Amino acid sequence: MKHRYQISKEGRKELTDAEITKYRDPKKLLYNYQRAKLLLHKKPLYKDPKSFLVLILIVALAIFIAEVVEKDRSTGIEDREQQVP
Amino acid sequence: MDVSAVQVPTHETAEIQAAKADPRRFTPLYERYHADVFRFVHRRVQRMELAADLSQETFLKALSALPRYEDRGTPFRAWLYRIALNELRMHWRKRKEVVIEMSFAEVRGLGEEMGADIEDERMQKLAWALGRLPSSKARLIELRFMDGLSFAEMGVVLEIGEDAAKMRTHRVLGLLRSMMTTRG
Repeated sequence: MKHRYQISKEGRKELTDAEITKYRDPKKLLYNYQRAKLLLHKKPLYKDPKSFLVLILIVALAIFIAEVVEKDRSTGIEDREQQVP
Repeated sequence: MDVSAVQVPTHETAEIQAAKADPRRFTPLYERYHADVFRFVHRRVQRMELAADLSQETFLKALSALPRYEDRGTPFRAWLYRIALNELRMHWRKRKEVVIEMSFAEVRGLGEEMGADIEDERMQKLAWALGRLPSSKARLIELRFMDGLSFAEMGVVLEIGEDAAKMRTHRVLGLLRSMMTTRG
């Protein structure tokens, strides 16, 4: 990233307090802070015992289904091989 | 632009302590420094909406980092400027070029410190020389002449000591002087 400087004879326009005050909103700042803090302190899924158990069950079920499908497929192949003279 | 006092007022120390204990009490500090931070950012981005967003983000980060803030007698404003500068750096990261406008008055001040009268025709030469400085060096000039910070405040913003800020600024002024002489 390169910096380029422009020096103008008239000078840069300094902002007035009235122009800046429009953008001053302490309530919005506090709201955003509390929202960010809430998200930051939300318990992650893996740290919640109940959610963690459900997660484990889903993963175990997925592994079980994958194993069954794989077993069925290999049994099917073996059967077809035996049928071939 | 006036250079603020280095000492933190006692009532401000109390306000900082109160805000550390309860974020809702950050409002007086926010209201006092909002305009300063907004101007600091706006000088570098020149767009109102963007300056508003970056200022708001600066105060949000300041509020989150406030429990870790250590009052070492340095101005609170400078600590806010440090956060604002980090926000600006993050914003600039995706850009190829950043254009910074400087006013006639700021250049006059810079000329005085360089011990040279900056006449109209030499302004463009100065802009050229500033653009060729590494950003860390150009930042010293910006903070000193564009933002009007004291060396103590510059030290806080750049996370260096006051003496280092002073010494480095004088070196950069010397470098600028030689660059302008070489260019003729």
